[in-house]
Amino acid sequence: MSLINYSSREINCKIVYYGPGLCGKTTNLQHIYSRVPQETRGKMISLATEMDRTLFFDFLPLELGQIRGFRTRFHLYTVPGQVYYNASRKLILKGTDGIVFVADSQIDRYEANIESLMNMHDNLAEHGLSVDKIPIIMQYNKRDLPRVVAVSELEKELNPNGNPYFESVAFRGTGVFDTLKLSCKLVLKQLG
Amino acid sequence: MVKGNWALFEEDFWAINQILQALMRSASARSVMLIDKTGQLINSIGEPPGFDVTSFSSLAAADFAANAQLAEMVGESDFATLVHQGTKESLFLQVIANRVILVILFDRKTSLGLVRLKARRASDELLNVLQRLFDKLQYRNEEVAAPTLGADFAAEAENEIDSLFRD
Repeated sequence: MSLINYSSREINCKIVYYGPGLCGKTTNLQHIYSRVPQETRGKMISLATEMDRTLFFDFLPLELGQIRGFRTRFHLYTVPGQVYYNASRKLILKGTDGIVFVADSQIDRYEANIESLMNMHDNLAEHGLSVDKIPIIMQYNKRDLPRVVAVSELEKELNPNGNPYFESVAFRGTGVFDTLKLSCKLVLKQLG
Repeated sequence: MVKGNWALFEEDFWAINQILQALMRSASARSVMLIDKTGQLINSIGEPPGFDVTSFSSLAAADFAANAQLAEMVGESDFATLVHQGTKESLFLQVIANRVILVILFDRKTSLGLVRLKARRASDELLNVLQRLFDKLQYRNEEVAAPTLGADFAAEAENEIDSLFRD
């Protein structure tokens, strides 16, 4: 949940990148970190295993600067994608203002996407949050790979609510900022 | 309990500030922070810490969240306080109103016992201020919707986002 501090004139919002293991959530944050001006970003924190798999979360604070006199910040988080880290996923999701669901477009990860999405719905419900109330952006990642599911098929299966979507190749940065920008805008729109 | 967005108003901010100042002095702590349970810093006073306070807040909230789950697993409703004791620097964390976390950074100039004692008193005072704030927000949420930032805010934010986040 966003926190508006009228005294220090600050607004803090939280966006969570969700999706199955190895779909590219951390890669999204790494690309953002590498491209935004230094004064805009804070320290990126990755609580990862020795094998560079996310253990708890990645965290990247971004500062938009002053908007109407309010210092506006976004806190980007990723969840650990691997199935057995659900307790951690649930914790990170708490209090989120927006979600980016990163789907892995590869044919053999099709089921993993569905499972992760259902898991997200369950976890949101446990926090008393509904997918209709929180801005969700779909990102179909790894579109450069040869054996991928058609976007129309992914849309049908993963996005029946018609949330906005972007195609991406996160390690090259394609689609990463489009996704982030829209997510930030929708989150702030809810505050306005 | 207030759900969704929450806001901190001038008078509440200063009331909180005063409590934290008094706590820092009486406990001889180095600095005191108040953090929202989702990892957002509400207020920080005392010596400017030599670390990134935003990251610190996020990790402190995660620390608490993980420990709350551990508490549940062993049959406790929560662990209301956490202590991380180092050789020079130590941390005392306490959850208040199930919503915010009080963090006290202290060194060997004081003792854990004193910090714990003073934290307990400050927690009661903070609870009163927060309860008043939540009641106020509840009223606003029900009567006049959530605090708003004005219609132009979203438009200006969009421009800012477009200019900042470019490939």
